[in-house]
Amino acid sequence: MRIDKTRLGKTQSVCPVCLARIPAERVARGGDIFLEKTCAEHGSFSAVVWRGDDAQFDKWWSYSPPDNAPELAATCCALVEVTSRCDLRCPVCFAGAGDASTEPTVAELYEIFKKLADAGSTFVQISGGEPTARDDLPEIVAAARRAGCETVQLNSNGLRLGREPEFTRALADAGLSFVFLQFDGVTDKTYEKLRGKPILTEKTEAIRVCGENFLGVTLVPTLVPGVNDGEIGDIIDFAVKHSPVVRGVHFQPISYFGRYPTPPRDEDRITLPEVLRGIEAQTAGKFKIKDFNPSACDHPRCGFHGDFVVLPRGKIMKLTKKYNPDACCGADAHLKNRAFVARRWTRSPDAESAAQTEPAADARDMSAFLTRVKSHGFTITAMTFQDAWTLDYERLRRCSLHVFDGASTVQFCARYLTNA
Amino acid sequence: MADATWKCGKCGVPLEVKKTVFSYLDRSFTHDVEVCPKCGAVRIPKELAEGRMAEVEEQLEDK
Repeated sequence: MRIDKTRLGKTQSVCPVCLARIPAERVARGGDIFLEKTCAEHGSFSAVVWRGDDAQFDKWWSYSPPDNAPELAATCCALVEVTSRCDLRCPVCFAGAGDASTEPTVAELYEIFKKLADAGSTFVQISGGEPTARDDLPEIVAAARRAGCETVQLNSNGLRLGREPEFTRALADAGLSFVFLQFDGVTDKTYEKLRGKPILTEKTEAIRVCGENFLGVTLVPTLVPGVNDGEIGDIIDFAVKHSPVVRGVHFQPISYFGRYPTPPRDEDRITLPEVLRGIEAQTAGKFKIKDFNPSACDHPRCGFHGDFVVLPRGKIMKLTKKYNPDACCGADAHLKNRAFVARRWTRSPDAESAAQTEPAADARDMSAFLTRVKSHGFTITAMTFQDAWTLDYERLRRCSLHVFDGASTVQFCARYLTNA
Repeated sequence: MADATWKCGKCGVPLEVKKTVFSYLDRSFTHDVEVCPKCGAVRIPKELAEGRMAEVEEQLEDK
């Protein structure tokens, strides 16, 4: 077996039953890696966290945390929940559905955005529930901008965005930067399984309407083994075809938030190296594992990113540079990441119109490249969230995606560990 | 950009505009700049260094 000891070792986790903090260990078995732990009261638990020991993935394991790592890393992106209502009832969703009575008002949200912006946290994700359940969402976006937030991302299932173009226009006019669109696949069968409804048409309509309003869209598939892990290539292909409206794909392997009656089986999990192998295999090598680097802003094993430009006729220019492990530990990693995603995921109307007038230009020409990277920049990224079975404190401490409710800042995975 | 008054400091010959390859972070780009036809020295105007070249650097900076 090739896995060396540096991949393994002790960490901390929680008991999936009582959530008490307990010691845990990364253990190699048969070329895969498992997180294993024992709660004195509730017994032993094991969950697969990494499948395969290919040398191409060594860079995901080259990081060792500093002894004095803080409990909470700097915020790259702050997530603000504006509602718990939702117009879908997804079997895989961890956000609890609620009613409007407990929602923060626009004025209250403004105070939250202001606190964030004043603290230098100028990249917010408006999330829920389904944020478009709120009719005053354009006012919320405007409040975020007025408070000083430079980048305002909307996490949405897209149903209302496609159905009500005037609502989407109002969001764009209010200063929305881009949309993270739940997009699990290119077949209705996938949506029926994951979202309870065949809604592919609604998804493509959302993309069309966002396109008309110059809003960039990043497709966000939740990957579930046996459901849509065979659609990785088709999703990327769809995204490339819809560039420059679609700015990229952000894969999220399913995690099991909330309290489950029985532990999820290992076969119900898909790990990062499997997603990367899927990308290479299902795009016939158009995108390769070596085109991707570990997360820099978060813990390396929380995700990956690849940076590309879509050239005319769907050709791909690769920009991901050689991996520099030191980049992941820099004090300004969250600022670099924030600037990177803002410039890739936001559309540039000027560059798009320039790209149209010189579509056949040589992409090696400096001026043509600058136009094209702004108009047709394209990213493939992933983030694998942790649940009560897979939670590794080493990763949690590096998390830069924080949920902010106006009073406290909590790492995303810590926030959604339970439905409580 | 073609400023006829520029000459190569070493060779004393007038510079000529030529498509030149620039490399940064494993990628290469071309741009027309003034080059000494004799020794190949390149003149990078301030506005190019602070403009497009800086922009390319920024775009290639990874997260």
